[in-house]
Amino acid sequence: MSYKIPMGPYHPGLEEPYKLDMICEGETVCDAKLRIGFNFRGIEHLAETRNYIQVIALMERVCGICSNIHTLTLCQAMEKLTGHTPPPRAQYIRVVMAELERLHSHVLWAGIAAKLMGFKTMFMTCFELREKVMDVLQAISGNRVNYSMNRIGGVNRDIEDPLAVLAMVEALEREMVRTVIPIFTTSSTARSRCAGIGVLTHERALSCGVVGPNARASGVGQDLRRAAPYAAYGEMEFDVPVQNDGDVRARLLVRALEIMESCRILRQALTKLPPGELHTGDRKIVFSTGTATARVEAPRGEVMYSVSWKENARNPSRVHVRTPTFVNMPAIRYMVMGARLADTPLIQASIDPCYSCTDR
Amino acid sequence: MSMLENIPELLGIRETWVESGGVHWLLSDALNVRDVARTMNECHGRFITITATELPEKSGFRLEYHWDLDGQLLGFTFLLTGNQIESIYDLCEAVDWIEREIHEGFALDFLGREYEPLLLREGEKPGVNLHEEVV
Repeated sequence: MSYKIPMGPYHPGLEEPYKLDMICEGETVCDAKLRIGFNFRGIEHLAETRNYIQVIALMERVCGICSNIHTLTLCQAMEKLTGHTPPPRAQYIRVVMAELERLHSHVLWAGIAAKLMGFKTMFMTCFELREKVMDVLQAISGNRVNYSMNRIGGVNRDIEDPLAVLAMVEALEREMVRTVIPIFTTSSTARSRCAGIGVLTHERALSCGVVGPNARASGVGQDLRRAAPYAAYGEMEFDVPVQNDGDVRARLLVRALEIMESCRILRQALTKLPPGELHTGDRKIVFSTGTATARVEAPRGEVMYSVSWKENARNPSRVHVRTPTFVNMPAIRYMVMGARLADTPLIQASIDPCYSCTDR
Repeated sequence: MSMLENIPELLGIRETWVESGGVHWLLSDALNVRDVARTMNECHGRFITITATELPEKSGFRLEYHWDLDGQLLGFTFLLTGNQIESIYDLCEAVDWIEREIHEGFALDFLGREYEPLLLREGEKPGVNLHEEVV
């Protein structure tokens, strides 16, 4: 006999609201239905009432974890409509901020995953490390969460002492290499809780259009930093980790390896930070009529902004945001089908979902 | 001939790609959304999203369909005078949530599919992104 188990919207494993109705037979999940929208704030509609300064502050609040990525993508789209190309130093600072945000996001996720595995010591270790990443972000921007770094034509703040930031990044990297990476890649607890569960096949990842580390854990090797470089990524050397198993362990490994690649990119960006201006100056921002689109590789995958503006208009006529979790979440249905009920919180967490982004 | 250059021919149209605002646009009145979806499947394009925009003075809607082809962003525009367009859900699974979101945001109907609530709750009226409330 089959029965339905509703999980959420107050979720046992994650702090944001969404609902998964699972049809089970015994302890096995046969099918599932997702319900979102508990955080729907109408932000895209609200953006049409904001000018080009206000809209940056608004979109920074789409997501608390990847707030910088949202303003970066929005500014890149608006720069195409205004003809403001950021100077090289600003492009490097954008890379530094984006990679620090990826570190902070991946370490946060690793902590939550450890907690769901029942590995609470690891949870505390990850959150201690995350605090250190946030200290670096605060040292650069003055803020721990919404950094207000991006503007049309560049960035608002400089990295005045890149070598001091580099020292902080290297200390972080040493700690990651000493604790987080070996435990996640070799510990029997991580292996037994993650290997072979929540499998997303390569074919299903393609048909669902899954992006980011979730796609790369199913053998889809796309990364926009490599495929369509933006900011200063074209000048960085890094690898794109790909795994083929498609299970929770593969998603764990991809993110663990990406932490190391982020440190590698940060080292390059901070040592090669070119001199020069931070932005294109205070000349008037003039929009031309049209639609511009920008894409960025956020910690969870591709973010796309489409911005339409009319010349002389105060506000955009349309801002559309396609977040990574919006395309990753539907794949949860396939990941939990055939799984044991007890594994489903970890499977859901393994895509690193952001409901705030998804609902907007 | 590259895959990108091949697409207009596969779609049976004479127009060529126009690059603007970071997107390769294929602008043609002869485009059919289902043909585009089939062609992008053939080319192994990755569906990204649909951007819906309400046109001024209630003159209709503009739908921009986006696919990624090896890192290149492709765009196909459809202008609607009414509020209906064929769904491509049966051809492209990834389109499910965005068709449902646009249905709820702009009260557009994607023909040939059924909806369940996505961002709205059961019984709430679609059209929350329209400039005026739907009467």
